[in-house]
Amino acid sequence: MNRNTAEVDALAADYLGFIFWEPSKRAFQGKMPVLAPNTKKIGVFVDASIKEVLQKTTEFDLDGVQLHGSESPEYCASLRQELTQPKKVESDVRLSAVSADRQAVEAPVIIKAFAVGSTFDFSILKAFEAHTDYFLFDTKGKLPGGNGAAFDWTLLQDYPSTTPFFLSGGIGPENLTNIQEFLASPAAAHCHALDLNSKFETAPGLKDTQALEAFITIIRTPNMQTYHADENGYYGEFGGAYIPEMLYPNVAELKAKYLEIMAEPSFQEEFQQLLKDYVGRPSPLYFAKRLSERYNTKIYLKREDLNHTGAHKVNNTIGQILMAKRLGKKRIIAETGAGQHGVATATVCALMGMECIVYMGEIDIARQAPNVARMKMLGATVVPALSGSRTLKDATNEAIRDWINNPIDTHYIIGSVVGPHPYPDMVARFQAVISEEIEWQLLEKEGRKNPDYVIACVGGGSNAAGAFYQYLDRPEVGIIAVEAAGKGVDSGESAATSALGKVGIIHGSKTLLMQTPDGQITEPYSISAGLDYPGVGPMHAHLFQSGRGEFISITDADAMKAGLELCELEGIIPAIESSHAFAVLEKKQFKPDDVVVINLSGRGDKDLNTYIDYFKL
Amino acid sequence: MNRIVSKLKENKKILSLYFTAGYPNLADTLPTLKQMEAADVDLVEIGLPFSDPLADGPTIQNSSTQALNNGMTTQKLFEQLAGVREHINMPLIIMGYFNPVLQYGVDAFCAQCAQIGIDGLILPDLPLEEYQEHYQPIFEKYGLANIFLITPQTSDARIRQIDAASNAFIYMVSTASVTGSKSGFGPEQTTYFKRVSDMGLKNPLIVGFGIKDQETFDTATEYTQGAIIGSACIKHLTENGPQGIDTFVKSVRP
Ligand SMILES: Cc1ncc(COP(=O)(O)O)c(C=O)c1O
Repeated sequence: MNRNTAEVDALAADYLGFIFWEPSKRAFQGKMPVLAPNTKKIGVFVDASIKEVLQKTTEFDLDGVQLHGSESPEYCASLRQELTQPKKVESDVRLSAVSADRQAVEAPVIIKAFAVGSTFDFSILKAFEAHTDYFLFDTKGKLPGGNGAAFDWTLLQDYPSTTPFFLSGGIGPENLTNIQEFLASPAAAHCHALDLNSKFETAPGLKDTQALEAFITIIRTPNMQTYHADENGYYGEFGGAYIPEMLYPNVAELKAKYLEIMAEPSFQEEFQQLLKDYVGRPSPLYFAKRLSERYNTKIYLKREDLNHTGAHKVNNTIGQILMAKRLGKKRIIAETGAGQHGVATATVCALMGMECIVYMGEIDIARQAPNVARMKMLGATVVPALSGSRTLKDATNEAIRDWINNPIDTHYIIGSVVGPHPYPDMVARFQAVISEEIEWQLLEKEGRKNPDYVIACVGGGSNAAGAFYQYLDRPEVGIIAVEAAGKGVDSGESAATSALGKVGIIHGSKTLLMQTPDGQITEPYSISAGLDYPGVGPMHAHLFQSGRGEFISITDADAMKAGLELCELEGIIPAIESSHAFAVLEKKQFKPDDVVVINLSGRGDKDLNTYIDYFKL
Repeated sequence: MNRIVSKLKENKKILSLYFTAGYPNLADTLPTLKQMEAADVDLVEIGLPFSDPLADGPTIQNSSTQALNNGMTTQKLFEQLAGVREHINMPLIIMGYFNPVLQYGVDAFCAQCAQIGIDGLILPDLPLEEYQEHYQPIFEKYGLANIFLITPQTSDARIRQIDAASNAFIYMVSTASVTGSKSGFGPEQTTYFKRVSDMGLKNPLIVGFGIKDQETFDTATEYTQGAIIGSACIKHLTENGPQGIDTFVKSVRP
């Protein structure tokens, strides 16, 4: 690995491997970065001369060598002898000094790798035992390692040696449960380490640090599960891609490329720069003093309302428009309910000079006239969705139909963590900037990265996914998702999906959704158009079902009251969606020293008419 | 042998009709099937209506909404079809979206289909991967054919994968579009029909989407074994009800 070594090192692996075998796609080039003091640097060699191994060990100050070719026991014996010899003085005095210093501490370890096929003759290990510190078992394949497949680990039941071993070959998120089972079994008694490689790459040599972090955390915490998506977009039983074949090429292309594109330095540079200079990030993490006094706890507001266009939605549309450009798409489509995502999409299309078509339910067009006007000013075409109930779900259907009709040049910018894989995961990753910032902002203000609670409202769930993202696999952080109860969960006019929904398929995703016993999707209701969706993103369905997240539903009346309270105590007019999150303060008692972060997903300008009507202002 | 498979062994161009169950009136399902049988239709797709039919254009969407408003449900459809094999010999396929099937229970749904004498299912939003991973054994247990779609954008490799997983025919979507939205076929369609036909697949090809009259039927079946008419059939039902389907069929395949 070499392309993002420093980021990977930050995940605190015990060993990092550097491949010194030139034919490898992952061969190490360039300068060795400075690593964390406890990380051991291992050089990986394939039938290299002893001289070369020694030279690289000295040059890069390696802590060990991994022999991945057909090196013999005699080879290992000579190498061992050389590695434990004090070095002769070499031309580079500084380097040899370092290595001489090291000799005093610990000689580099030798790891001998073996390729395991459908069977393995363990008797060959005996001759190596005296000359190696560890064995490594990898899958037999075309290449000496990095083939990406796993072998049958149950073979290791017959492991006759006591030499500790590394397990390698095709270990990744998709066989996480198998690995956990293996580690718990007697066959793993001498398993010293797991070697993770190609399954965590977005391109050869480029590691997906998010996926690695999630995996490492789980492996280190027995019995823990991850709340991130697996490689097919499943969060537990939820997610996947239930799409008609007409959408397959588009979705498959996106699935194949999104992680790689997002990891490209040029993409990250452009994304970060736009978030900073165009959106105005980082958004402040504001200590709400009067609100904290009122509820006798420490409340911080994550100010997504201060973003350009007035909500968190733009984090995602910036990310996706850059994605669309790199995929060579010319035409952008989107769905919108209240018009916030439509405006955020029209905005980035104007910014990039791309054609923009926004589908919006006919009824919503009438209800949200100012946002329709904004989209038009920004150059977008707003197409009324005339089918079904003529609201958000139908606008989404129409956008999907448009994508079916225009499979080549069009990218569909979905507005939340919904839709077929990879959308939920991709949108969550773009919104993750919210919790990434909360971490360092809280560190500055409170001296710790983790709050006790994060609270966010959930329509489809994108602002919540972003606010929860960094904390999903940290059980010490409480996650509170707030749904719209409308006129009451049992009133028949509600959008509390976790309470009322059943497992089903909506817009290409298996998730919880509101439906009749017969499987027809029903129409939700909430005073806030942005929470008025009959489904919920698969991440949230899983957070709910697993109990990782606490789900609270808030009525129109409680939300409106909480919104007004925020105006009066803090001088901030919130979006009605966000007001739902604030209403939790009345429902749940926090401790005086709890640090509670509320994601203020948007500002209330767009809702002025609703506030005026409701409060008779 | 599965009725679809034996029908496809006949040396003729297959004409298949799609209609929405419970449309235009709730009780029209069986009369429509009888009219179709009398009109010598080869194969029928009975549409199980869904609130959110993603792959359908306005004609079929509206018929689904109407059928649901008429009171059509999965259970109702099974009741209407309970004695269907006393009257109908044509192969019957149920075409619908996956969510209603999931709510009914995939196993229970397939069991009911088998009991009634349904021969196959088309569930456009149940993709190949999910089918193979979770549901294939259930379909096989009840002897139901599962029919997959391909489109002009489907890669050759994936067409071969779909061919390998299919056991009746492959539903060839004529153009990149939802149902009912294109008028007439151009040279790209002919090239696509020929290209796939030349692949020498093990399953016959039947073309759907955009077939509405004799001309489109003939173009579609030049290189394939048959064609499916959906929206044009719904339009006929909207205007005439089940009456006169024989005239409609003759106008397509004299
Ligand atoms: C301010 C604001 N918050 C929340 C939402 C709900 O969307 P999500 O659950 O995807 O964050 C919306 C949607 O329009 C919104 O505008």
